[in-house]
Amino acid sequence: MKIMQNILNSIKPHFEEGGKLHTLYPAYDAFETFLFVPNHTTQSGTHIKDSVDLKRTMVIVIIALLPCLFFGMWNTGYQYHSQLTSDMEGYQSIYSIFDHFLFGFWKVLPLIIVSYVVGLSVEFAFAVQRKHQVNEGYLVTGMLIPLTMPVDVPLWMLALSVIFAVVIGKEVFGGTGMNILNPALTARAFIFFAYPTKMSGDKVWVHGADKIDAITGETALGQLATLTNVDPSNSEIINNYSLFSSDGIYSLYNSFIGTIPGSIGETSVIAILIGAFILVFTGVGSFRIMVSMFFGGLSMAYIFNIVGLENNLFMSLPAIHQLFIGSFLFGMVFMATDPVSAAQTNTGKIIYGFLCGVLSILIRVFNPAYPEGVMVAILFMNVMAPLIDHYVVEANIKKRLKRIKINE
Amino acid sequence: MDLVNIFIKGVFIDNMIFAYFLGMCSYLAVSKTVTTANGLGLAVIFVLGITVPVNYILENQVLKAGALQWLGEDFVNVDLNVLSLIMFIAVVSAMVQLVEMIIEKFSPALYSSLGIFLPLIAVNCAILGGALFMQERQYSTIIEATSFALGSGVGWYLAIVAIAAIREKIRYSNVPAPLRGLGITYIITGLMGIAFMCFMGIKI
Repeated sequence: MKIMQNILNSIKPHFEEGGKLHTLYPAYDAFETFLFVPNHTTQSGTHIKDSVDLKRTMVIVIIALLPCLFFGMWNTGYQYHSQLTSDMEGYQSIYSIFDHFLFGFWKVLPLIIVSYVVGLSVEFAFAVQRKHQVNEGYLVTGMLIPLTMPVDVPLWMLALSVIFAVVIGKEVFGGTGMNILNPALTARAFIFFAYPTKMSGDKVWVHGADKIDAITGETALGQLATLTNVDPSNSEIINNYSLFSSDGIYSLYNSFIGTIPGSIGETSVIAILIGAFILVFTGVGSFRIMVSMFFGGLSMAYIFNIVGLENNLFMSLPAIHQLFIGSFLFGMVFMATDPVSAAQTNTGKIIYGFLCGVLSILIRVFNPAYPEGVMVAILFMNVMAPLIDHYVVEANIKKRLKRIKINE
Repeated sequence: MDLVNIFIKGVFIDNMIFAYFLGMCSYLAVSKTVTTANGLGLAVIFVLGITVPVNYILENQVLKAGALQWLGEDFVNVDLNVLSLIMFIAVVSAMVQLVEMIIEKFSPALYSSLGIFLPLIAVNCAILGGALFMQERQYSTIIEATSFALGSGVGWYLAIVAIAAIREKIRYSNVPAPLRGLGITYIITGLMGIAFMCFMGIKI
């Protein structure tokens, strides 16, 4: 570390005012502040002294994401190996838990590298061009984007969606903290609408599924989407629905542990709950949004259970099971709580979260085109969040005015 | 239930702004603050709710092929569909004038708060679009047509107040100079379009 600091200090004059490479100062500054605590002091005004700055906040989110990441790597290997050798006893003796993890590690690592390299290059280019500091906001976005992707997504598509999200989703608004939509979700929505064949269907969610016939990686939601508008007495349908009973592959237990096909980071409820605990405990993520979104989804799923149309088995899936499959919890903990694009007021956060939950389940069940409704539901609520805030603030102003009148 | 479906469809799925890009001019011009956007949005709901039923009556009693049957047997073969565009525009502007006068007479407060927006609505393509969609989709009763009109109006209202709130929020954002104003508004509209795509394809 000492050597690094010496190197940085020795090249510093080149980047400062009057130096040859002054135009690249934001890039130098980003490296320096990322590696070391900067010795800048504020020059004017009174400031709150606190060691938690933007960078530390972002690093906490990264730590909260690590359980999901590691589990996702393990699950990538597990899904591939267990499907390749259909004999359950056999594969357990051939592959150990480390084999699963290593296999997944080498599949997931390129996605993360591409996401960070491409995203940070765009950020650096904008910072140099616009002469502002490189913000740390991309650290989280760059981790979230690969976690929401299927493992086999082509790297150039990933790069393209990252560029779209960083440029159109964030930089045109002025960078970190000024965007209106969550950049990670913007990237996912872009790739989802631009290249639907790589983002949906039953051949993308497990590595190698598009080449090897033995592997089918239908997600739980994809399977459920085939159960709307059907004849419930048909034996094939009953067979498919039994995948969700306690000994099927999409059972409540399996979806809680996370051993089901899906995007890299979304499958395990346990890993997500660990992340949620870290976020709430450190105060980085808003528990108001998480709790209200959870209850929004739960109540909508209960309503569907009660309505329960005969020919729509999707509706009759138990409410809690409904929330455990797909990326509902992942979106709830890491996407909806994004402090920039979510509602800012406390009352607004509750309304925002609740509507996120309701809409997610609603789109899931009613829209056959998108079995995964969470992504678009949160994007939609991102759009509506400023409006919610506006009316919450207005209502508060009215309430206060009334209080003044009464006191007079 | 059918009426509710038509209404919901008008609000979200066939949204005037994000599915058909109608009424963009006033949507972009009058969305700087939520208060004015709110006023214009309400006026659009109001005018759509009046002109579409009136045009529906006109369409079914006068313009459609064979609609003039009530005048006598000689008129069975008359088809005045060629005139529908002109007639709809005439009805829209006449209705807007009428509504303006009525509001000015009976509720001066509302009139002054709507201000210039009321006459502006006469040239809002969402209004004429509403009438033409009503003709194209052939709603079976006047109540269905009204429900469609109110749904489209509410959808337009939702779009304009949402973008107005966003524009208020990004007022202090460090947007690159060439994009300030309309440029960034177009980009926001595009991003909102992506968000509204969650409703495309829903079948009710």
